[in-house]
Amino acid sequence: MKSFLKGLINVKNWKKKTKVTWIIVLVVIAVCIVLSALKPSEADMKAMASEEMQAMIKADEGSSRKRVTVTYNSLIIVNYCSFSTSGAKEVTEKYVGFVGHAFQADEGFGKFAGQMVNYTYRMLGCGENLLHGAKLTLLLTTLSTAIGVVLGTLLALGKISKNKVLSKVCGGYIFFFRGTPLLIQLFVIYYSVPAIFGFAWRDLFAVGDTQAVYKGAFIAALIAYGLNSGAYCAEIVRAAIQSIEKGQHEAAKALGLSYSKTMRLIIIPQSVRRMVPPLCNEFIMMIKDASMVFAISLMDITTISKNIMTSEISYIVFLPALIIYLIITAFFTWIFNAIEKKFSLYE
Amino acid sequence: MKKMTKIVALIGAAVMCASVIAGCGNKTEAPAAQEPQENQTAENGETTEASKYDLSGIKLISDGVLSVGEEVGYPPFEDFAEDGVTPIGYDVDIITEVAKRLGLEVNIVNTAWDGIFAGIDNNYDVVCSACTITEERKESMLFSEPYIANYQAVILKAGNDKKIESFNDLDGMTVAVQKETTSDELISDYKSTGTIDVEIVANEKILSCFTQLDNGEVDAVVVDSTVADGYLAKNPDAYVYAYKDDSEAEYFGIAIGKENTALKAVIDEVLADMEADGFIADTYSYWFGVTEE
Amino acid sequence: MDNFEYILETEHVSKNFGSLSVLKDINLKVKKGEVICIIGPSGAGKSTYLRSLNQLEKISSGKIFIKGDLFLHREKDHTVERIDKKTQQKLLLEMGMCFQRFNLFPHKTVLENICLAPIEVKHEDKETVKKEAMELLKKVGLAEKANEFPNRLSGGQQQRVAIARALAMKPEIMLFDEPTSALDPELVGDVLQVMKDLANDGMTMLVVTHEMGFAKEVADRVLFMADGIIAEEGTPDHIFNHPENPRTQSFLRSILNV
Repeated sequence: MKSFLKGLINVKNWKKKTKVTWIIVLVVIAVCIVLSALKPSEADMKAMASEEMQAMIKADEGSSRKRVTVTYNSLIIVNYCSFSTSGAKEVTEKYVGFVGHAFQADEGFGKFAGQMVNYTYRMLGCGENLLHGAKLTLLLTTLSTAIGVVLGTLLALGKISKNKVLSKVCGGYIFFFRGTPLLIQLFVIYYSVPAIFGFAWRDLFAVGDTQAVYKGAFIAALIAYGLNSGAYCAEIVRAAIQSIEKGQHEAAKALGLSYSKTMRLIIIPQSVRRMVPPLCNEFIMMIKDASMVFAISLMDITTISKNIMTSEISYIVFLPALIIYLIITAFFTWIFNAIEKKFSLYE
Repeated sequence: MKKMTKIVALIGAAVMCASVIAGCGNKTEAPAAQEPQENQTAENGETTEASKYDLSGIKLISDGVLSVGEEVGYPPFEDFAEDGVTPIGYDVDIITEVAKRLGLEVNIVNTAWDGIFAGIDNNYDVVCSACTITEERKESMLFSEPYIANYQAVILKAGNDKKIESFNDLDGMTVAVQKETTSDELISDYKSTGTIDVEIVANEKILSCFTQLDNGEVDAVVVDSTVADGYLAKNPDAYVYAYKDDSEAEYFGIAIGKENTALKAVIDEVLADMEADGFIADTYSYWFGVTEE
Repeated sequence: MDNFEYILETEHVSKNFGSLSVLKDINLKVKKGEVICIIGPSGAGKSTYLRSLNQLEKISSGKIFIKGDLFLHREKDHTVERIDKKTQQKLLLEMGMCFQRFNLFPHKTVLENICLAPIEVKHEDKETVKKEAMELLKKVGLAEKANEFPNRLSGGQQQRVAIARALAMKPEIMLFDEPTSALDPELVGDVLQVMKDLANDGMTMLVVTHEMGFAKEVADRVLFMADGIIAEEGTPDHIFNHPENPRTQSFLRSILNV
């Protein structure tokens, strides 16, 4: 593992194309840093409110019923500030800040830009804890895939083992989790299991923690997704292990290696490369499947975009959603490709 | 040593990339409107009022906090403000005021509609999320006295002059409803009994129903009159209010755990006071643009 | 020390695949230092016999002794004599094996291939193992390839590495299963040279081969196998110049006249 990381990091081994890519990335980051330093400050943005709006905000201060929502979103190089009242007669004012200026964003391109910033900000889950938006999607998918890979490897070894009972149990597990929908599994874990065993997921966290419900739901989701992913990964791992030629087993046996050492030192390392492409697929499927957490109150990218669509009656909300998904998918495809390349060095 | 530098440099680059991907600069402070939402305990020195109500015997998941389950995403009853975190809406105003008068903090827990009632006593103390009081539901939970009356309404696209005088007039039409709502049950009932021949399109979100109406995919939307009021107030030129079934009112109440009778009692008291001092009427006209009948 | 008469002995070894009988009652006694070549037409059971010796194939019945100790015993009615696992493992390690397709571990370098088993199985000191491995590589003429991955080597080089890998476990018997059959003709020579050197060093060797020249030159004894039995055995001179069994004669005629 250590040498793998080193290999990934060793700049000398990079191809020219990789270097160029990195230079571009660094330049983009540098430009972003400069532009983000130039954008108007939060105070400047908030000072843009019209006199009537200022008056309403002032009125709010004295009242226990707040009517004005002040939204301030800062997104790398731009920021967005809006003042909106609620109710049947809505009044809103929107501003977009970019390179030292704040622009009115109530219509036309300004409105579009403002919406993009606001929607992207919300979908990424900025300004909130890890259980929101893209952060939730990433956390859930990476953790549950990690659980899935470990569990799947054990299940695959169990399924191909000569112990008939173990093999049947593992086979049954895989059959069950592949044969039932993930959403139902999620419901069972979140609703049925606590009901049967008499606990609530939120009990895992401190009383008075306002986020306890979401954290509990996240743990339940992690378990459901991990168990489900385990079944799919098991089949991937099994297929990869069984694709390694028999001669490798024989050579190891002739040298006196035990079954477990043969698996650990010879077979599994060779099968990793063959597992990577299907595991990458599984992971990307998982990113998309993560939207099912809406069913247990968590807000991932898809749920947030649906929510925005409902409350703002806006259809361009899906544009940033698509872009965020594509960036995430591209990033992980790149990582998986690097892993695959690393493990195919010897071929 | 050189390698270390490279590793550090790379980790640095990775962190930068991650922050680009994560998109956000600094974590911004919670929007101004959010704070009072959470700290709306008797901040205006209304503790005297809180003492009016007898809070002994009520059960709360965490002391001093009224946890409320809401499916945030059903405007104008409950929805997120543009900052994406602050729940706003008619229900939010009502329940916040209830909690305030009881001297409690309010914690709104966003939850999916499916299974919302299963979460009572587990995830939150009450559900205040445009819940119709039904006999069926009363078997498994308590309901407060109603805080809003609601009727089933038929909405048509603007320019459609078809006269609708009862649900029977929907015969032969394609009707959109929100899945598993009273509207859905009502129209499905009309259909299954053979009273009328109607094609039902059941959507996850009420917005989809209106979109389908816009696009001409359906002929009518059957929806809660309150929701209809909210939509029509915002889009007065797009839709027409074709029919409102005054005969059968249904009432929205706050759902409370079966065992929590003490909580029901105080909530009822507070709601009665809020009705008496006009708070409910004010809130209604603020959110629905019309006065409650 | 050598309190055994034969280093390897098989008694009544038989093997069936279902109703097909692949090995029929094979008896063989091998003295220490003997080089035995097994020849015969394909399907005769040569490889199966060799692979049964180190348990890569499960025999149906028979006994195998290594250095005078019982290594395996199975009766026709499927009863198996329980042999202490440790003893069995120790005896197994007395045999090194080279395969037709080399079966090097592709994800390990040449050096790692050789060092793996001594470290993982015998738990020997890593540095010592490495030093010995380099010695072995020098012996097979591939010292400069120590850090290459196997797939960068030619077939002949890979087979020499495979021999070194087997030798690293310091076996007393080497089993070669058609070691040159998968090689291009021009690469065969180097491998055979290594094997000859090994034979000259006094290694006990069982070689399944089609290289008649090698058999003639190096073997102490040649076995001709056909249809699961040892049809004829004797010195190379006997087998190649005065074969008695008509099957041996026809086999030799067919391969020598091509």
